[in-house]
Amino acid sequence: FSSSISGGLGLSNTMYARLAEIISLDGSIAVTLAAHQAIGLKGILIAGNEAQKQKYLPKLASGEHIAAFCLTEPGSGSDAASIQTRAVLSEDGKHFLITGSKIWISNGDIADIMTVFARTEVLVDGVKKDKITAFIVERAFGGVTSGKPEDKLGIRGSNTCEVSFDNVPVPVENVIGEVGGGFKVAMNILNSGRFSMGSSSAGMIKKLIAMTSEYAATRKQFNKSLSEFGMIQEKFAVMAVNAFVMESMAYLTAGMMDRPGLPDCSLEAAMVKVFSSEGGWICVSEALQILGGLGYTKNYPYERYVRDCRILPIFEGTNEILRMYIALTGMQYAGKILTAKVKEMKKGNIGMVLSMVGKKLKNTLGGSVDFGLTGKDGVVHPSLTESAKKMEQNVSLLGMTVESLLYRYGKTIVDEQLILKRVADVLINVYAMTAVLSRASRSISIGLRNHDHEVLLANTFCTNAFFKNNYLMTQLQKHSPENDDANIKKIAKEVLENRAYVCSHPLERTY
Amino acid sequence: MPEFGVERDLVVYNKLLDVFPKEVFVPRNFIQRMFNHYPRQQECGVQLLEQMETYGIMPNVETKVLLVQIFGEKSHPMRKYQRLMYWFPRFKHTNPFPVPQQLPEDPVDLARFSLTRIANDLDAAVTVYQLPCTDITESGEQLTLPHIVGIQGPSQMELLAKHNPSRPVFVEGPFPLWLRDTCVHYYILRADPLPPEEKVEEPYDPERCLDYPLQLDLDLDRDFGDEESFDVEDLDEGPVFAMCMTSQGDQATLNQWISGLQQNNPILGQVPTLFRLNAGPKELQGVSDTESEHHHRPEQETRPEEEREVLEQEEPRRSQGMKQ
Repeated sequence: FSSSISGGLGLSNTMYARLAEIISLDGSIAVTLAAHQAIGLKGILIAGNEAQKQKYLPKLASGEHIAAFCLTEPGSGSDAASIQTRAVLSEDGKHFLITGSKIWISNGDIADIMTVFARTEVLVDGVKKDKITAFIVERAFGGVTSGKPEDKLGIRGSNTCEVSFDNVPVPVENVIGEVGGGFKVAMNILNSGRFSMGSSSAGMIKKLIAMTSEYAATRKQFNKSLSEFGMIQEKFAVMAVNAFVMESMAYLTAGMMDRPGLPDCSLEAAMVKVFSSEGGWICVSEALQILGGLGYTKNYPYERYVRDCRILPIFEGTNEILRMYIALTGMQYAGKILTAKVKEMKKGNIGMVLSMVGKKLKNTLGGSVDFGLTGKDGVVHPSLTESAKKMEQNVSLLGMTVESLLYRYGKTIVDEQLILKRVADVLINVYAMTAVLSRASRSISIGLRNHDHEVLLANTFCTNAFFKNNYLMTQLQKHSPENDDANIKKIAKEVLENRAYVCSHPLERTY
Repeated sequence: MPEFGVERDLVVYNKLLDVFPKEVFVPRNFIQRMFNHYPRQQECGVQLLEQMETYGIMPNVETKVLLVQIFGEKSHPMRKYQRLMYWFPRFKHTNPFPVPQQLPEDPVDLARFSLTRIANDLDAAVTVYQLPCTDITESGEQLTLPHIVGIQGPSQMELLAKHNPSRPVFVEGPFPLWLRDTCVHYYILRADPLPPEEKVEEPYDPERCLDYPLQLDLDLDRDFGDEESFDVEDLDEGPVFAMCMTSQGDQATLNQWISGLQQNNPILGQVPTLFRLNAGPKELQGVSDTESEHHHRPEQETRPEEEREVLEQEEPRRSQGMKQ
């Protein structure tokens, strides 16, 4: 939210997350608002100069003008090299002429101010190269046309359409950052808005829990209300745990981002987004399932929630791409530290090998791991000791697994997406466990209402996540029988070669 | 049976089996069953079934009924039939690229089928550059235009577009392709592989992907135990850009093919094209004829209107295996 200087509310990230929680009750409104302020005007906010801020932010903050973010093109989703929109300097050097088209722009029809990314020719070390630049384009400049609104599955209230630019004159002052620096601007904008998805999904699930439990408690079958059946109870438990975890993760990330010094929490935000989008989709499906046939009809809002939630794993960075980002950022960091160690091991340094063997022996013989979370000076409340110990075990196993992966693959791990996916899943689970444990400890320590319920939720989630993490990490061991990557790749190769399902029909005869 | 052309007709085999008298050769008591009852006739039945097996014809339930009626349940022909019925269904789908029994008659269709079979690429597009026709020119001569059918896939078009114009491309051929008992010949347009010094890798662009780093900035390589890219058979033989089939494989026809290709691949106008054609399928000649052939054909260099150089090299067949 824009700072109060330009007429905005000047909210911090935490307050933004809280607001997102309330706004998310309607998906379309949330998306329209997010497109306007989380990505549309964020560019001006974080990378614009004073003149641009003075000129545009007041109107945008008051809502007179609406913003949009134009990056995706028909041929370019995540691949910045295939952006076709060009911006050429006019003869008098005062304007850039932008030509091209962008698709799937939220608020495309109603936006007055757009952040557009186009290719410009830049001199880098004397060599002419094409680099991306960010521009602030007003619809009033002329040459901006929007196509008709897309017919989407969900969030039908938000306007998404194709926007075309035909030699739109953009004054040179409207370049955000510097010419050729659009890539960094794009990355910063996209990475900053993600965490709010956690609180918005949590808000939606909380509302759904309220609505569905009403139904489950009142509907009776076999002389029992639905809420007495185990499977229904499990669904409610899943929803409650998911909501709890999402909230904890989102507010933890928001709190971290609010610390002074503008820390880079893009990794945590990505983790929040992946977990919340998938958790949200599962929970909304389960909520519809509780209502059964009634949930499927249009008379009730559940099907709308399901349709709106389907976009969550897709937009703001597809979950697959974000998993790669999470895993690779971690690998890069770990790699920098471990390079020396791994090189020593490969050379065959006796001392190093012996110490590794010693550590492995200690682990297999049941040595306990202690990172300081539990015990006398531990930060976690004693009623969460079990879960904290599980998390510590996971973390240490993760460390060893990452080290062995770097040893085995080195920098070619970029191509091993199935392995990176598992690493990312483990990381997300571990971060979720951290968030959950810290929130539950805080609740007990300061005596919030129903803190024992929170402890229960935390312990349930940690047990579940502990088991999943262990399985994922077992799959990452060398030649592990649980790892079916080779089979998956082979199946996929045969299916894609034939571009169809390969097996003969079960009813086929040979004679 | 091949004389009459009915060797693949099951009805004829059943009729042949019908010739045997029924119930005569069926053994009636255990002594007859013990000793090979009517051995010559059983051998004849087995030979008939063996011919069915050679031609790959699946017997019928009528065959079974006939065999039971003629020879009884435990006879050699019946055992042979049971073996046929056990193995043939299993062998039916063993060929991942089956050739149909009836090949298309039309040479263009045959060329289309065989080119798709060679290319094995679902994206490749078959283009007919010329249909066969016979013209009679003004002077009364018969001019037969052969068919030219070519195939090229989009990845091949990309490779050709990236080809260095200073290196030549070669039209090689004709290579034989056997489909059952017909032999068709095809020509390929290929280039030599780049020597390792000249291979240029695209420099890493850190601003390529908006979301995650495409290359990690680490100094670690893949472990030797996990290195899966080494394969003895995986040699780089140079890219093949397109293939074609034509009935008359002389330079004029192939020139037409290249000009047809040029419409979609403009780079062919600047790349020198060398024709390395074999003598092609010919009847065996007497000794005197072969000697006279070696003397003529001086090397011709022609410079047509476009910029490409065309060199014709008539190499004797032996040297086809030499890689240059």
